[in-house]
Amino acid sequence: MTTTLRRNDYALSDEQDQLVAMLRSLFSEQSPISVVRDAEPLGFDEKLWATVRENGLLTISLPDSVGGDGGGLIELVLMGFEIGRAAAPVPLLDHVVAMRALGRLVDSGVELGSFNWESGLAGETIVSIAPISTWELGAELVPSGAVARAVIGFKDDAIVLMTRDSRAPQAPNDGGSPLAWWDPSDPAVQVTTLLAGEQAAQLWDLTHREWRIATASSLVGILASSGEIARAYAVERQAFGVRIAQFQAISHDLVDMHMDELTSRNMTLKAAWLTENEPEFRPELASMAMAQATRAVLRSTAKAVHVHGGMGITLEADVSLFYRKASSWSLVGGGVRRDLQDIGRAIDRRAGERARWHENNAIVKG
Amino acid sequence: MDFSQVELTAEQQAFEKEIRDLLSTSWTPNYAHIALDHDRSPDSVRLAMAKRGWVHPELSEGEGGAGLGEIEQEIITALFEEFYIANNANNSLLIPTLEQHGSAWLKENILPGIRTGELTTCLGYSEPDNGSDIAAAKTRAVQDGDVWVINGQKMWTTWGNESDYVFLLARTGPIEEKHRTLTMFLVPMDAPGVEATPVWILGGGRTNVTFYSDVTISDNYRIGPVNEGWSVMSTPLATEHGAGVVTEGVVPINGSMGAGFSRTFEKLIDGAIDWAASRKGADGRSRLEDPLVRLALAEAMLDLEVCWNAEGELGKPMAAEALAANADRLADMAAPEGILDFGVDGSIAAGIIASERQHAPGSAIYGGTTEIYRNNLARRLGLPRPY
Ligand SMILES: Cc1cc2nc3c(=O)[nH]c(=O)nc-3n(C[C@H](O)[C@H](O)[C@H](O)COP(=O)(O)OP(=O)(O)OC[C@H]3O[C@@H](n4cnc5c(N)ncnc54)[C@H](O)[C@@H]3O)c2cc1C
Repeated sequence: MTTTLRRNDYALSDEQDQLVAMLRSLFSEQSPISVVRDAEPLGFDEKLWATVRENGLLTISLPDSVGGDGGGLIELVLMGFEIGRAAAPVPLLDHVVAMRALGRLVDSGVELGSFNWESGLAGETIVSIAPISTWELGAELVPSGAVARAVIGFKDDAIVLMTRDSRAPQAPNDGGSPLAWWDPSDPAVQVTTLLAGEQAAQLWDLTHREWRIATASSLVGILASSGEIARAYAVERQAFGVRIAQFQAISHDLVDMHMDELTSRNMTLKAAWLTENEPEFRPELASMAMAQATRAVLRSTAKAVHVHGGMGITLEADVSLFYRKASSWSLVGGGVRRDLQDIGRAIDRRAGERARWHENNAIVKG
Repeated sequence: MDFSQVELTAEQQAFEKEIRDLLSTSWTPNYAHIALDHDRSPDSVRLAMAKRGWVHPELSEGEGGAGLGEIEQEIITALFEEFYIANNANNSLLIPTLEQHGSAWLKENILPGIRTGELTTCLGYSEPDNGSDIAAAKTRAVQDGDVWVINGQKMWTTWGNESDYVFLLARTGPIEEKHRTLTMFLVPMDAPGVEATPVWILGGGRTNVTFYSDVTISDNYRIGPVNEGWSVMSTPLATEHGAGVVTEGVVPINGSMGAGFSRTFEKLIDGAIDWAASRKGADGRSRLEDPLVRLALAEAMLDLEVCWNAEGELGKPMAAEALAANADRLADMAAPEGILDFGVDGSIAAGIIASERQHAPGSAIYGGTTEIYRNNLARRLGLPRPY
């Protein structure tokens, strides 16, 4: 056994920094909080979607081979950070993850049936993904399912594409998210099997990991915004003649929120880089990023509300909007316990490494 | 961004083998040695390392190191972890400060041994009446001709019973002037009037109260200008806190103590896995397959990954609290064996969880409490000073 070392470089390149700056100004101009509010209850804004399409955001993270611009998962994560920061009501992340999966199928020669690739590429047809299909049969809640016409899922050990000609009705939820039930036995839903067998399982696993990472990145954005809002309020608001940020009960919570944001951000970037460059290495990192971002966004947006006192729970306060988005953006994938179950693969790997280590080394036990 | 594996050169591989051989012949891994941040390497290992310039390998050969780079240093760290050896000499905190502020005599006579690691140091900041409020120190140093006479008492002088020198914070003017009347000294622990008595702590470890009665030392032992102690000690303090960690290369981003605690945490999880692999449930299957065990282990592994991703000064409070919470979690996972003492029949990896449960609360205290860290972090976030 020899020691292996890995680099720990989280820094963005100049190009990536420029992409972030472009996205930040685009979403702050085109998706101010008023747009987010007006898009409720569906959680989708046609005009913003058109802007996203016109600005080429849908093809940045697709490979050249299928008509994309050759970027990857990291660029998608950077988009996720900014989408979350603005709580932008567009299904960009679900769509691009699904298109990446379909693109891989196209690249390996799989026919997509009646699905019109060009229409997906242009964002005329919105595509989404059914993470819950990994574990459950029958009808399931699909993120962006109320705006998508096509959904990629995993049923009976095969990758399937579900399509419908009309929009599925939204399942009203906590955060005004375009969630909808998709039922494969519903006559309005056509189900096409695209790929079966071991290759399908592997491709689905990769797709599911990408979805977890992309979704985690949007939660990082929510953490950034809700943290900023709470800090700004805490240095303005006064009680007992001092600024409330001078109370440690407040400032230490603000620090903890910041820790939640930065650790979630770093974990998402690291998972994205490794999934992109070495998909075989520590495949649990995607679930780790998702689980951390989920628990972080739930507790930190709650703290952000609390810092505001009574104002925090008014519907008018921006912070309460982020609190609502936190749950419906994070739990649509099945929740933290599902992620923890997936992290189980790391237990088995480590147990194997430990067994080999014990074969070669003595250890004092008392 | 880059998380790729480093391809070790032939020299680096040979270096790895050399250290592995040294450690495997001079040391047997021991489950009990998991306090990788707090404990000190055993003398046998430290002196063998010192001979080769490996205690502070980043220093040049002429300075007592081995002129090695970041990768070699991380190889050393990884192997020490693998072999359950703490790799902790407070010296690295002090070397830059002694180089900058030490007297010519001190640099010639003492610094070389501190650089090689043949001499050891401990930290004399805290006192019975003040720990967090470090600048309220009362231990007094009074100049008398060209010597200083020191009187007072320090608390928590860890390794004070087995170090050659203490880096001592002393009062050299009116206490009312707080930060402006502090001066640093490097005091020989064998100077007449220095005494260390033990304080036994949770987990069975030892720290000390150290007493200084008319301890008389030459001005050569003064570190930095008189009454400039606060600024002199700020560099080692910041290093200990994990400030200034680079976010690239192979060094972990979570600061010195954060990384140390994370390594201990890793060992805790390994011990829990070893235990689960050695136990069978009533259904005859390995407890590694028990969903309840898996849930607890997965949560612990997740928390560990969070620690490795907590940068700079975030690293310590994150890892200290994760360590305590997960020692509890794993003790509960393996209840009731989780509470058995070290070496007891049937204990988890020889009692690793029970002993870490006892040790963990200290990690949220020493080197600055998690509250003090949060105060500092709040200021860095632009928040006002506490009311
Ligand atoms: C195992 C161990 C090893 C140690 N080793 C060394 C060593 O080698 N050298 C050395 O000099 N010291 C050492 N220490 C001392 C350590 O640095 C102090 O214990 C620590 O800084 C806290 O000081 P204190 O114990 O006096 O607690 P106090 O400062 O009295 O704090 C008590 C409580 O009040 C809280 N508190 C204090 N001030 C504030 C504030 N401003 N805001 C919010 N909360 C506050 C603290 O967080 C803590 O919870 C060690 C301690 C331990 C436990």
